[in-house]
Amino acid sequence: MTDSVDDKTGHGTNDRRADGGRQAASEAGRRPADEGTGGRGDGPRSAGLVDLTLAVLKREYLIFVRYPADAVGGIVVSLLFFALLFYGGRAFAGQALTDSIEGLVVGYFLWTLSVGAYSSVANDIGSEVQWGTLERHFMTPFGFAPVAFAKGVAKVVRSFLLSGITLAAMLVITDTTLQVPVVTVVVVAGLSILSVLGLGFAAGGLSVLYKRIGSWLGLLQFGFPVLVAAPAFELGWTRFLPLAQGSSLLQRAMVEGTRVWEFPPAELATLVGVAVVYVAGGYAVFHYTTRRARRLGVLGDY
Amino acid sequence: MSSQRERDRARSDNAADLDTARAGGSVQEAAAPAITVEGLRKQFGDGADAVTAVDDISFRVEPGSVVGLLGPNGAGKTTTIKCLLGMIVPDAGSVSVAGVDVLANPRAAYRHVDAMLEGARNDYWRLTVRENLRYFATIGGVKPDDVAGRHDTLLDQLDLAAEADTAVRDLSRGMKQKVSLASVLATDADVVFLDEPTLGLDVESSLTLRRELRRIVGERGLTALVTSHDMDVIEDVCDRVIIVNDGRVVADDAVDSLLGGLDAQGIRVASPDLEGAPLRAVRDQFEVRAVRHQGNHTSVEVTTGSDGFYELVALLRAHDVTVSSVDTIESDLESAFLEVTRE
Repeated sequence: MTDSVDDKTGHGTNDRRADGGRQAASEAGRRPADEGTGGRGDGPRSAGLVDLTLAVLKREYLIFVRYPADAVGGIVVSLLFFALLFYGGRAFAGQALTDSIEGLVVGYFLWTLSVGAYSSVANDIGSEVQWGTLERHFMTPFGFAPVAFAKGVAKVVRSFLLSGITLAAMLVITDTTLQVPVVTVVVVAGLSILSVLGLGFAAGGLSVLYKRIGSWLGLLQFGFPVLVAAPAFELGWTRFLPLAQGSSLLQRAMVEGTRVWEFPPAELATLVGVAVVYVAGGYAVFHYTTRRARRLGVLGDY
Repeated sequence: MSSQRERDRARSDNAADLDTARAGGSVQEAAAPAITVEGLRKQFGDGADAVTAVDDISFRVEPGSVVGLLGPNGAGKTTTIKCLLGMIVPDAGSVSVAGVDVLANPRAAYRHVDAMLEGARNDYWRLTVRENLRYFATIGGVKPDDVAGRHDTLLDQLDLAAEADTAVRDLSRGMKQKVSLASVLATDADVVFLDEPTLGLDVESSLTLRRELRRIVGERGLTALVTSHDMDVIEDVCDRVIIVNDGRVVADDAVDSLLGGLDAQGIRVASPDLEGAPLRAVRDQFEVRAVRHQGNHTSVEVTTGSDGFYELVALLRAHDVTVSSVDTIESDLESAFLEVTRE
């Protein structure tokens, strides 16, 4: 994350203005406008990927603190749904639900995390199209994909925060205790939702190409509970689907207290492999759809 | 039209640039073009439904010049601009910005380019004005702290300093438009594309924006390609105009040359006596564009220059016509545009 776009100072060609003063400024290796920037005597430094990520994270943070209603609303709705599930389930299933409450809480935590990451990435691209800001993220020296990925990371961080609050509230509601080994949870849950992030990129790319298909892509979220619940059955081939392997490991980490280094290497490798494959696949779909949109002249249309 | 005085004022700041641009001056000839377009073609659809949006467009834009891209709806302006920005992949042709091939090496080209494509919807309304400038400076590839001074200057120039910490959504339409422009100029780009920069603005806001735009572009030595349906904007802001129609370039000349080459100068005379024989005499001797009757007055518009003015006055005097008013009709870009696109 230390790459930076090429140094722009003294790129010469366009600094050769008709005006002699500007020519002199150019020859000194700075742009004319920089004379008013504090007299450092050189042009502005190029931003790197770290700057990009920080800028995207800061934007996410500012919107989060400035307009908290969206986030709070999401948490409240999520908790109401969980309460319905918990109290309703206890009324019908009684002890059976109580016995498996830890698994339910962990699964719900992973589900809120994945839905938050997927929908925000998929919806964000659609929103950028409507705001007219998508093109500006396309016309960046960083390239469209790194910017989109940085925005995805920001959404994941936001989802972690909101789902963390939801998790704490769920533990209070259910009067349950879980282990939260932070490093293990962040690594396992993070890798788990990377695969979902890949799906989000693919969905976002499709919405760039086909426009108003958000409601169709939203249906995918209803498949997430099945994937999260996969460990309750024999994992089998389902371990290669998004979330399933991560859900299995997260259950063991939070219910049994297994640390990340205590998992069998093959299981960790599966988790990492699934994350890489789905992110790469999502990126490939995103790349293809945006290229196709450029060929059809529909990038930025809505 | 307010254009001439405004243009003179705006141009006085960077007269050297413009004089050189108008004269096709030697200094700029020495520099590589800021924008080079060669044989650009783009067709949408196939078979009978195919639409050729851009049909073999070529032009160059010199560094530091401001060029207007004009054309009726569907002429191919937007497709051309999006091809120049790499947002539409053309079927044929090449585009380079600051000597960098946009299609082959877009990331390098984007170090030099930014664009205002959607008017007021070009930035984040939930962020403040300054936050937008910093964010888009970063996206544009520069450290925002290094251009903070430039941002302050920009906010002052666009009369946004007092609103620097206000969320964009709380600003008026005109202010939002200014923020949009500011966020484009907040980067380190030396070539900017401005699509309808004054769309939806009232007259005063439009005048202010185009004056400041001209000043900022001149001061920073930027190259700008501007599209607008408002001919006053193009006339005020641009040195040169490229007119496209049916996907082709139908005119490409300096604004002054386009206006000068247009045989549209005329005189409008109004009189209560301009009927019958005097009117026939005027028709015989001059090209009459229009005759209007208002109350007991008749107004006649003739195409002529300053020499014809004295002949017209002499003719009217010979017929004992009492002239109540005389106005000169100046040629404008709108007339030039209509003439060129009609041909």
